Amino acid sequence: MRRGWVIDLEKCIGCRSCAVACKQHNAQPPGNWWATVETPGSKYHLTMPEQGRGYFLPVTCQHCKNAPCVKVCPVEATYKDKDGMVLVDFERCIGCRYCMSACPYGVRQFNWEDPKKTLGKLEYVENYSYGYPLNHRKEHNGVNRLVYMKTRFKGVVEKCVFCVHYYDNEGLDPACVRGCPGHARFVGDLEDPNSTVSQLIRDNEAFTLIPEKGTEPSCFYLPPSRKKKHMTEV
Amino acid sequence: MNKRRKYSLIIAFAIMLAGLFTYGYQLREGLIVTDMSNLFPWGLYVSALAFFVGNAAGGLVLSASVYMFGITKLKPFAKIGALTAFANVTAAMLIVIPDIGQPLRLWHILRYPQFSSPLAWDVFVLSAYAVLTIVYLYILMLPDLKGPGMKELSEKLAKRIAPIALVFAIGIHVVTAWIFSTQMGREWWFTAALAPDFLAVAVFVGTTVVLMASVLLYGIKDQYKEGYSILVKIITAMFFVHLFLMYNDFFIKAWYGAESATHVFNILMDSILIHIFEVLAPLLAIILLNSKVRNSVSGVVVSGVILMAGVFAHRFLIMPPAFNAIPLTIKPLGFIDTYWSYPIATGRYVEGVSTIADYWNYSPTWVEFTLLSGVIAYMYFVVALGVSILPVKKED
Ligand code: SF4
Ligand code: SF4
Repeated sequence: MRRGWVIDLEKCIGCRSCAVACKQHNAQPPGNWWATVETPGSKYHLTMPEQGRGYFLPVTCQHCKNAPCVKVCPVEATYKDKDGMVLVDFERCIGCRYCMSACPYGVRQFNWEDPKKTLGKLEYVENYSYGYPLNHRKEHNGVNRLVYMKTRFKGVVEKCVFCVHYYDNEGLDPACVRGCPGHARFVGDLEDPNSTVSQLIRDNEAFTLIPEKGTEPSCFYLPPSRKKKHMTEV
Repeated sequence: MNKRRKYSLIIAFAIMLAGLFTYGYQLREGLIVTDMSNLFPWGLYVSALAFFVGNAAGGLVLSASVYMFGITKLKPFAKIGALTAFANVTAAMLIVIPDIGQPLRLWHILRYPQFSSPLAWDVFVLSAYAVLTIVYLYILMLPDLKGPGMKELSEKLAKRIAPIALVFAIGIHVVTAWIFSTQMGREWWFTAALAPDFLAVAVFVGTTVVLMASVLLYGIKDQYKEGYSILVKIITAMFFVHLFLMYNDFFIKAWYGAESATHVFNILMDSILIHIFEVLAPLLAIILLNSKVRNSVSGVVVSGVILMAGVFAHRFLIMPPAFNAIPLTIKPLGFIDTYWSYPIATGRYVEGVSTIADYWNYSPTWVEFTLLSGVIAYMYFVVALGVSILPVKKED
C-alpha cells in the first residue's frame, strides 16, 4: 500500500477550502499552514500573471517515496509508515529542523513558540481551540508513536499527517479531499493499478513537482487543459 | 597567572553567564526570539557550529606535522594545538544546543540514532574528537605531570594516536560538510566541492588559532620564528586552496548557467558585501602575516582576528543563498519567461503581516548574538584557563 493523491489542476478553482479544512481539522496555530494553494507565476493569489491563462497549485507534504526528511532525521522521529505516509512522532522530535532544511517542498512547520500562546492571539473565547481533539498513536517497528495531537509541543516540527487519525479511526479521506468543492483531489493506493488515482495518473499525463530533486512524490498533478483549448482556438 | 589574563578570564566568565541567562530566556519563550523562520530554519547557531568545527582543526595540523611528517620545529605548539582543538570542538557542540527546539530530548540521539542521518554521525565524530584531543593533550603533558621519565612513553603514544586523531579530525569537517552537501534541494550546498572546501577552510583557520595562541603564550622569540613561519605557510597555502575550491564551483555553475544556479547567484548578490569581506579580510590578514607584522605579538593577533572574522562571514553565508533559493521554484506550465518560487508559511504569526513569504531577510537578534558571544567566551575561557593551570607551555 502506498497512499497518494491526485490533484486535478483543471478542476481546482483556487478557493483554498482544502487549506482551511486542513488547518481546522489538524489544529494548526496561526502562522502555520500544512496545506497551501497559490497562483503560479503571480505574487498574489487569484491574480493571474496573464489574463485568462492562470491556474492554481495546491501544495502539501508530498509523502515522498525517497523522502529526504526521513533520511536526515537524527532520531527517526520522522519516519515512513507501512502505508507510505511520512509521519512525525511529536514525542520523539528534538526540534533540530534538519528535516525542514532538507525538504524541497517547504511544507514543514516549526513551533517557534508554544502553540497555546499563538492560539491565544486569536480572539476566541478563552481556552477554545479548533481541531480534531484526540491524540492519535500508531505502532511502528514495535514502538508506539504519537503522530497526531491537538496542541503540539513548543519546539517540534509538524506537517501534513495525511489525516492518519481519520484514516485509522474512521476510514475517512483526508480533510482536504473531503473539503474540496470542485472535487479536484483524489486519494488512494498508488500501488494498486485499478485504484482511481492510478487510473487518473495513467490516463491524464500526470506529473509531479520538481522531479529532478529525486524525491519521488506520492502527490501527482493533472495538468490544466485550458492551455490546450487555447491552442485549438487559434 | 598574570593580572591581564586574570581579568580576561573574569570578563569571559561574565559573558558566559550573560549567554546562559539569555538561553534561559530563549528556553522560556521558544525559538521565536531568534530571527529564524520556516523559510530560514537554520541561522547563526548552525553557522557557528561550522565555524567552531573549523577552528578545531589546529590540533590536527600540528599532530600530523609533528608526528607524521616529523616537522619538529612545531613541536612546542602541539599541546596548545590540542587544547584549542578541544575548546573549539566542545564550543561547536555547545552552540547547537540552543538551536534545538526540545533540548531535554537530546539524549534521543543516543537512544534512537538514525543510521542515515549525517547529523547523527556528526554528533558521534565530534564527541569522539573531543575525547581524543583531551587524551592526546594528556599524553603530551605526561612528562610534565609525571616526571621526565615518561618522555619516551609520551612520544610513543603520541605517535600511535596521531593517525587515529587525524582520521577523526578530517572526519569532523567532512561530516559537518555532508550535513549540508547531501541536501539536493539546496543548490548552494549540493556540491561535492563542499567537503574538501570545509577541510581547506578548517586547516587555515585552525592553524591561525594555534598561531595566535602560541604567539600570545610564547611571544616572538628567535627559536620559535621558524615554527611560526611554517604555520603561516600552511595558512597561506590552504587559503588559496579554499579560494580555488570555492570559485571553481562557482565557475562551473555559472558557466553552465542553469536558471537554478543563476537564482542562487542573484541571492548571493544580496549579500555581496559579506562575500567580498569573506575573501578580502583573510587575504589582507595573510598579506600582513607574510610581512614584518609577524614580528610583533599584537600584529599577529590583529591579523588573526581579521582572518577569523572573514571566515565567520564565510560561515554565515552558508545560509542565505541556500534558504532564499526556495527549492520549489518552477516555470509554471505555459509561461516561458517566469521563474517562480512557491511561497512558504513562515510559522511566525504577526498581526497585519502576511505569514506566507518567498524571501526571508534573516538578521540575527540580540538573543542569537548574546548566545554566540557566550560560546566564544567559553572557548577563550577554556584555552586561557588551560594554559594557566596545565603545563601546556613547554619550559625552555
Ligand atoms: S514533501 Fe517534504 S516533508 Fe513531505 S515527505 Fe517529501 S521531503 Fe518529507
Ligand atoms: S526537527 Fe524533529 S523531525 Fe525534523 S529532523 Fe529534527 S528531530 Fe527529526
